[in-house]
Amino acid sequence: MRTWYRNLDWTVVLLWLALCGVGLLAIYSTTHGSAQEFLLASVQNNFERQLVWLGICAIGMVAAVLIPARGLVQLTPILFVASVVLILVALLFGREVGGAQSWVYLGPFGFQSSELAKVGTILMVAMVLSRKPTRGTGSMSAWSAIALLLLPAILIVMQNDAGTALVFVSLIPLLLFWGGYSMIVVLLMVIPAIAGYITVLHWPTALGFVVLVSAVLYLSQRNVFLTVLAGTIAGGTVGLTAFALHRILRPHQVARILAFANPEADEFRSGVGFHLIQSKTAIGSGGLFGQGFMQGSQTQGRYIPEQSTDFIFSAIGEEWGFFGSLLVLLLFVLLIVRLLNMASKTHHPFGSLVIAGAASIFFIHVCVNIGMVLGLLPVIGIPLPFLSYGGSALLTNSVLLGLALNMYARRDEFSMYF
Amino acid sequence: MKEKRYAIFTTVVCLAIGALALQLVRLQIIGQDNARQAARGNAFRTQRVLPARGGIYDRHGALMVYNEPTYTITVTPRYFKADRISLLASLLEMEDSLVTVAVESARRWNPYRPSPLFSDVSFEKFSRVQENIFRLPGVNHEISQKRRYLAVARAAHALGYLGEITRAELELPDRRVPERQYRPGDLVGKTGVERHYETDLRGTPGTAYNIVNVHGLEFMKYNDGMDDESPRDVYDIHLAMDAEVQALAESLFVNKRGGVAAIDPSNGGLIAMVSKPDFHPEIFSRPLEDSTWNNLIMSADKPLYNRATMNLLPPGSTWKPFMSLFSLAEGLVDSTGPSSTVYCPGYHPTGRGRIFRCLGVHGHIDLVGAITHSCNTFFFEMAARMDLNRFKDYAHMFGFGVHAPTDIQEQTPGLIPDSTYFNDAYDYWSVGHVMNLGIGQGDMGVTPLQLARYTAAIANNGTLHAPYLVESLINTTTGEVVSPQDKPEASKIPIAPEFFELVRKGMRNVMEEGSARLSRIPDIASGGKTGTAQASGGLPDHSLFIMFAPYDNPQIAIAVQCENAGSGSECAAPIASLLTELYLKRELPESYWMRLRMERALGAESASLSG
Repeated sequence: MRTWYRNLDWTVVLLWLALCGVGLLAIYSTTHGSAQEFLLASVQNNFERQLVWLGICAIGMVAAVLIPARGLVQLTPILFVASVVLILVALLFGREVGGAQSWVYLGPFGFQSSELAKVGTILMVAMVLSRKPTRGTGSMSAWSAIALLLLPAILIVMQNDAGTALVFVSLIPLLLFWGGYSMIVVLLMVIPAIAGYITVLHWPTALGFVVLVSAVLYLSQRNVFLTVLAGTIAGGTVGLTAFALHRILRPHQVARILAFANPEADEFRSGVGFHLIQSKTAIGSGGLFGQGFMQGSQTQGRYIPEQSTDFIFSAIGEEWGFFGSLLVLLLFVLLIVRLLNMASKTHHPFGSLVIAGAASIFFIHVCVNIGMVLGLLPVIGIPLPFLSYGGSALLTNSVLLGLALNMYARRDEFSMYF
Repeated sequence: MKEKRYAIFTTVVCLAIGALALQLVRLQIIGQDNARQAARGNAFRTQRVLPARGGIYDRHGALMVYNEPTYTITVTPRYFKADRISLLASLLEMEDSLVTVAVESARRWNPYRPSPLFSDVSFEKFSRVQENIFRLPGVNHEISQKRRYLAVARAAHALGYLGEITRAELELPDRRVPERQYRPGDLVGKTGVERHYETDLRGTPGTAYNIVNVHGLEFMKYNDGMDDESPRDVYDIHLAMDAEVQALAESLFVNKRGGVAAIDPSNGGLIAMVSKPDFHPEIFSRPLEDSTWNNLIMSADKPLYNRATMNLLPPGSTWKPFMSLFSLAEGLVDSTGPSSTVYCPGYHPTGRGRIFRCLGVHGHIDLVGAITHSCNTFFFEMAARMDLNRFKDYAHMFGFGVHAPTDIQEQTPGLIPDSTYFNDAYDYWSVGHVMNLGIGQGDMGVTPLQLARYTAAIANNGTLHAPYLVESLINTTTGEVVSPQDKPEASKIPIAPEFFELVRKGMRNVMEEGSARLSRIPDIASGGKTGTAQASGGLPDHSLFIMFAPYDNPQIAIAVQCENAGSGSECAAPIASLLTELYLKRELPESYWMRLRMERALGAESASLSG
């Protein structure tokens, strides 16, 4: 019998190292150099602190790999409850950073409760969904999973961190999908998100999308009820979004949502649009080969706010160019696809769902973060996994990766405990 | 089952990240030029690098004008925030409103470029602004220079002064050349050498390309400074002027108004050019007080006015050498033989003894004698014989009544009448009007520069050189020596050398036995001629003198005008003589003759205009 560590997937470890290395270089470039003195004091040492965090993360990851499967299953409910309690503690007693009331301090280390909660939540949802779906209980575990994801999401919204909450909500269709639930149901969940996005960009196109979705569903399923349901959900989202944009939301909220579509507009360019204009300018001026490490005028001139954290990708785009950015995207694709591949080879549903959950979290973060930096999505402040400065996120992501490696390495011995 | 979902999930991942990659293509490949431009617009700042203005040296290489560093605060209105006006004003210890006005005028000119608004800021204020620079976006500095004057000679009118460029001057064709980079607040030469040689002294400014951060502060050189252009084509100016002679002339002019021009007869170089009263050019190196400026332009003495090139006085008897040459050339009188003399009974018969009087009774007198004794009768007679328009032609040949081709822009052509002039000026005119011209009186006006140039032509047998201040220009980086580009050719006066010889002989006699005998240089032979021109308004006569030396090998020709200071021999002659001696010997040896001339020169005074 092969011992579990022989099954350790070294590709994932190497990808983790590569991404963290890229992140360190980019953080160095955004916080050092001739203009360092003009940065906020709190940002100046981000590179050194990230190095310390990386050490902590390596320990966390090793621990996550070493933890026995049985212990993990037993620990799962405790971890989930602890996560929710942590969020509540942050909400009631925590410190506000960047507008979000999500920080808990342990001596010199600040932890972002909403980030850490991802681990416990993924494990808990994986456990709920991995109960053998028998008739009657199938939809029961689906509803529990949805509730388990919505609970932290709602608390995080109360912390005033809609971006992170969005990640929890987005996990619902992805985990249900991987858990083996009806693809039509999953599709019905995804359709309103797409419809809403298109409405923000251009509402007539959104109406076209509603018609298209209904038509495709009808032609493929020949099911009138389903078609009407999908059309109603999609159309309702379009209507609701348009109504919200024009009637309910306050102008500054609308501005935050709309700015990404046209950041150059006069009403946005000095406010919400400034991030995006500078970020797109930085990335565009990178061209094919980039301006060179520590040579980008946008990055070095500190034109992009939050550049060592949420907007780290703009530094890569400017200084490393198209090929450098593409390389980073490729590393992410390789990591996510490799994780999905591992998930598909892990036959036990709990292990498979944990791995897929990690992959889903990385996928959502990459899409939303880079989409935001490239001006495709509204400015939603969530970090780029492994690259952005931030200890809690790095620790969370590393532990998730460690758990995924653990599940995959022990995929054969797992069934013993269930 | 798992395989199908794995395939779908993988496809979704690849599609979503592929969409991101497509956006990368849009931004980085299709949009890269626009983005580069935007990034450049953000961060790229072009800074003008003004070279040190060229220095000015005298003919012996003595430094006369150099630069001292001064600090100038510049403001780029586009990046300057109005709420920082009071901060900037308090750092500069100025009124808020002055800063507001300055920024507003810069904004009207060009909001995107730094305008040098506050010049000659003290080092303390400059340091204070630098300490607060992070709170003052759009504020920057230029280190520039101010003119300092080293030599004992002021030479204010020759050197000229610098002043802030005016809107009209900015629009001049040679200022609009983009590479010269003139901007409001710049200093330009307003008069004299500083004005005429502005382009050479200033050079072509260089350019430094810097990268600035989001606060508008420079933090690195663009392309490691590889594309920076150094300033170039700055020239040091070497004058023909002798600073020692100039300084002596200025000091001898105490209590006097007037002008001096001294020329090297072999090439036209100006050894000295004095106009008194004058001003110290360094007052223009600091921000000028209104009261100072008002005094300069309102004073009856007109200190800004260059008397050496603009003051028109009748030449008086200094005109007689010209009349002699003109008469000989036109055959109005012979150099030898029966037709070479005129009879002087102490007056010219035309005026029946009342109007055209002579200084003495000279009897039969020839041309040399007439110059020696300054016989008016002889020259009245010549004028009576002459054709007025030929007179004017010859006067023009000697440079009178016309602009001199020179690097001094401030000059007047003077007045030499012809028949057209008299027809216009008088209802009736007769030979009487014309005869006065023979002795340099009446309707004519000449400047010291013109007199000196004409004296030089007498000294060198009729070569009329273009007078010039600047001998050569030396490129401060390459060391290349060039001549002023616009130096005109000398012209030759078509009069026989022997006639010049005769006139010089008469002028030598003036120095040895004539009216200027007390002003002779003890051991150097020279030629000269005094002149006393009647002044209007009941004021004393103008004292005039022309001179060249040494007699056999003339190296200097000089003309001195002292307004309302008496006869030519009293004031102008000793000054001219002392300057000539200093120029030739490079020192003034102590002697009886030196003291005599010094006392006479210093003792003379111009009658006050205001009193």
